[in-house]
Amino acid sequence: MSGGTALMLMMKAGVLRPSRLVFLGRLSLEKIESGPDGALRIGAMTTLRALERSDAVRMGWPVIAKALRTLANVRVRNVATVGGALAHAEPHMDLPPLLAALGARVLIEGKNGKRQLPVEDLYAGYLENTLKPGEIITQVEVPALGKRRAAYLKCTTRSADDWPAVGVAVALDSHESRIFISAAVDRPTRISSAQDLENIRIDGDLHGSADYKRQLLRVFLKRAMDEARNAGR
Amino acid sequence: MKRATQAAETPQVGRSIPRLESWLKVTGRAEYVHNLRLPGMLYGKIFRSNVAHGRIKNIDVSAARALAGVYRVVTGKDIQEVIPEPFYGPAFHDQPILALDKVRYVGEPVAVVLASDPHVAEAATHLISAEYEELPAVYDEVEAMTSKAIVHDVLKPAGTFPDLKHLQGKKNTNLALDFRLRRGNPDKAFKAAARVFEHRFRTQQVMHTPLEPLVSVAECTEDTLTIHTASQSPSFVRIEIARLLGWAENRVRVRVPFLGGGFGAKLYIKLEALVSVLSLITRKPVKIALTMEEQFFTITKHASTFRIKSGVDAGGRIVARECEVWWNGGAYADIGPRVTQKSGFTAPGPYDIEHVAIDSYALYTNLPPAGALRGFGIPQLVWAYESHTDLMARELGVDPVAFRRQNLLKEGRPQATGTVMHDAATEKVLDRLGALMDWKKPFDQGKGTVRRGRGIAVGFKACISNTTSLAAVGVNADGSCTVYCSTVDMGQGSDTTMAQIVGEVLRVPAESVRVVHSDTDVTPFDMATLGSRSMFHMGNAVKLAAEDALQKINHLRKELGLGPDSAVPEIFRKKYGMRAGSVMGTASFNPPYTPPDANGLTDNATPFWMVGGTGVELEVDTETGRVRITRLVNVADVGTPVNPKIVESQLSGAAIMQLGFTLFEKMLFDDQGQLRNASLAEYKIPGFLDLPDEIVNEAVAAEQKSGPFGAKGVGETATFGLSPAVANAIHDAVGIRLTELPMNPEAVFTKMQSR
Repeated sequence: MSGGTALMLMMKAGVLRPSRLVFLGRLSLEKIESGPDGALRIGAMTTLRALERSDAVRMGWPVIAKALRTLANVRVRNVATVGGALAHAEPHMDLPPLLAALGARVLIEGKNGKRQLPVEDLYAGYLENTLKPGEIITQVEVPALGKRRAAYLKCTTRSADDWPAVGVAVALDSHESRIFISAAVDRPTRISSAQDLENIRIDGDLHGSADYKRQLLRVFLKRAMDEARNAGR
Repeated sequence: MKRATQAAETPQVGRSIPRLESWLKVTGRAEYVHNLRLPGMLYGKIFRSNVAHGRIKNIDVSAARALAGVYRVVTGKDIQEVIPEPFYGPAFHDQPILALDKVRYVGEPVAVVLASDPHVAEAATHLISAEYEELPAVYDEVEAMTSKAIVHDVLKPAGTFPDLKHLQGKKNTNLALDFRLRRGNPDKAFKAAARVFEHRFRTQQVMHTPLEPLVSVAECTEDTLTIHTASQSPSFVRIEIARLLGWAENRVRVRVPFLGGGFGAKLYIKLEALVSVLSLITRKPVKIALTMEEQFFTITKHASTFRIKSGVDAGGRIVARECEVWWNGGAYADIGPRVTQKSGFTAPGPYDIEHVAIDSYALYTNLPPAGALRGFGIPQLVWAYESHTDLMARELGVDPVAFRRQNLLKEGRPQATGTVMHDAATEKVLDRLGALMDWKKPFDQGKGTVRRGRGIAVGFKACISNTTSLAAVGVNADGSCTVYCSTVDMGQGSDTTMAQIVGEVLRVPAESVRVVHSDTDVTPFDMATLGSRSMFHMGNAVKLAAEDALQKINHLRKELGLGPDSAVPEIFRKKYGMRAGSVMGTASFNPPYTPPDANGLTDNATPFWMVGGTGVELEVDTETGRVRITRLVNVADVGTPVNPKIVESQLSGAAIMQLGFTLFEKMLFDDQGQLRNASLAEYKIPGFLDLPDEIVNEAVAAEQKSGPFGAKGVGETATFGLSPAVANAIHDAVGIRLTELPMNPEAVFTKMQSR
């Protein structure tokens, strides 16, 4: 268990009935460092609030700090962790599409050693990650933003602090656009152009019908691209 | 308690003093039932029905009973050993303490597990299984009128209300009340009208969502029962528990500390009957504290359908109106039949219309029960009639404010019931609303994908009648004052305003007055804290009681030969030869009322009227349908405010609450009557980021002559007009009309696409 914000809700709802919980709080995984290569290394037990307030993040990856400001609420951000937010595999989360667009990788450790995965490869489906039994995420590495321009936009359809109906993350540079959509699909999904939105399978849920979510994706993709293009680095 | 000091010479009424309990609350020391633990106390957790309508074939509690730590499992049959007829309710005795032969909605309590550890009790509820023979169910209020699915085999009116008597013993119906009003000759007037308009509007089922969920604790002694409960109606709880048990009222004590919000959810019997019986069965204190999720299965706000038709003459006067309203009461009547009638008679709105026909129906369905929610049905009605008014003004090509002004019900004119309106500042409210909205100035309609619109709406409400409040005011030997009243401070600030009234009469600082919280062993009867009635009814009772105390003190002064300015401690010292004694002033307040006749007409429908107007300016994102309110104006007739700051926060708070019901809150049921969003993760209420950019609140200069120091109620007033004002503004912005709540982004966008 990391922050427990999602786990406790699932336990309260009776979805999850663990016989034992192991708290990961004493593994010294709370460091945020920017290395000589310019990459950001975030310990998996870093709280979302610590990440949001980190000077390194604000200076080097303002798009992350901005996304965190409207992620859930400050009470949740004070305890929820980066590793937990990624491992949860809930498709309405904000960090997975954003970190995937930024080309981030997770460091995974288990009894068989260490391995690395691009964030997008962490997901197999709804509430389903690709971690093997006994494995945990220990670190997230976000490459330097460099000349890239990035944006993350989400749209809520009930209260402003609701889970998003759709999320769109884009990271652009002269030779590559990395675009990930979330919430309307069962896992962060990369698309290469607006045209892809017309063919992709969209899931309706309590936030909106599939048709409406497709419309939101069209609008928010355009808006996210505009925001990224106008973003100061 | 920390208290500020305040010179006694300052008038106490009209001061914006901070809430007397605010210090206790922000330091976490205010008393709530949730924090109460008694020695030997058991916790109850409820096992609920998972079918919408079914006959109970079997309940298997053996596995739950066998779980280590479980003290006892109780079903409806066990309840009947204590109370053979365990049915309660304010209008109908229709709700069993635990389901007996049938279940009538998904979530209905079927059994209770008791354990000294609430987690054990909760775990054990998952080990209970029940078998049902499923029955056809009905969910829609209009369908319930003719449905073959019958929720209650036989109707059982409580007997307290004369207009329900004709329903006694009725079978094969879901109709829990058919309120009817006829005035003039509507048929003829419609024929003669130059234009006739007809529309249909719907509202959705929503929840009160008080921050503190429902909670009750019962403890019994040899021959008494004490109930500690988060209730808005302690006096009613005592009467109803005494009736159920067949006990004298003086054997039942009901204590209510602070409430973390009520909004109508904590009225009448909720958990009180259940914990009482459980305590009598086990002879131990029993506590049941609902989770936020369980509240969805306890009490809600009526979904409704409203068909409204108006005839307008060539000069733009509304001459006839027909209203047909169906209220979705869910599986148990709760106070629904009263909502149907007490609000139903205002369905034509605050307009001067000669010919009126109203039919208002309370229906049983297989959904969680519906009761009162901050407005007692009025927001549902205003939603329809003010949307309708706006549509008519558009069709007629007249300004919506001018159209309302022309047809407004004015001072001295009879309302639909025939009751003449007095002290209802309809004109002032509409005029101030127009002024604060700069209505006559040109309005920027936006461009591109952001279109702007503005809209207004005006609603009114009659205070529930016939109701009574009693109060006592004690003056102690040192001159300090204590108020005994059963009004419950659930966040609305009643302790503070009652203290201000006493302070004004007895010339002491309000901050020095102590208000004793509801305890039926101590505080006298009050009908309940509901329907914005406390300031008027209890305010009057407290004022009269304080005046009675003052009169008794003055008698003592005369008797002892003391001057009119002699200090109170001096009086008592002279009377008793030491610091001793006290004076108790008492009063009861029960304003006159005339019940409606067979046509729904009466010369005295209510002791006072509440008038609320709302104006909004908003933006619509034409690509997503998302609505953002940039400016919200609440104008109200609250009489003369006792505490202007409290009035302001009541106005803005009510409007923000209604904003959730208007834009996104909705209990979503599937076709089996299962609630799909019974958690705060999936049922969202407004947060700080949803607030309008600007909120303006104004209480117009007004006086309720029969109110304490000119005051009347305010708690619900700003809920009235918000929903239609938003719909009218959306229409103004993008030319579409929504007739169903909530107006969420998808509803707006879909409607724009279908244009």
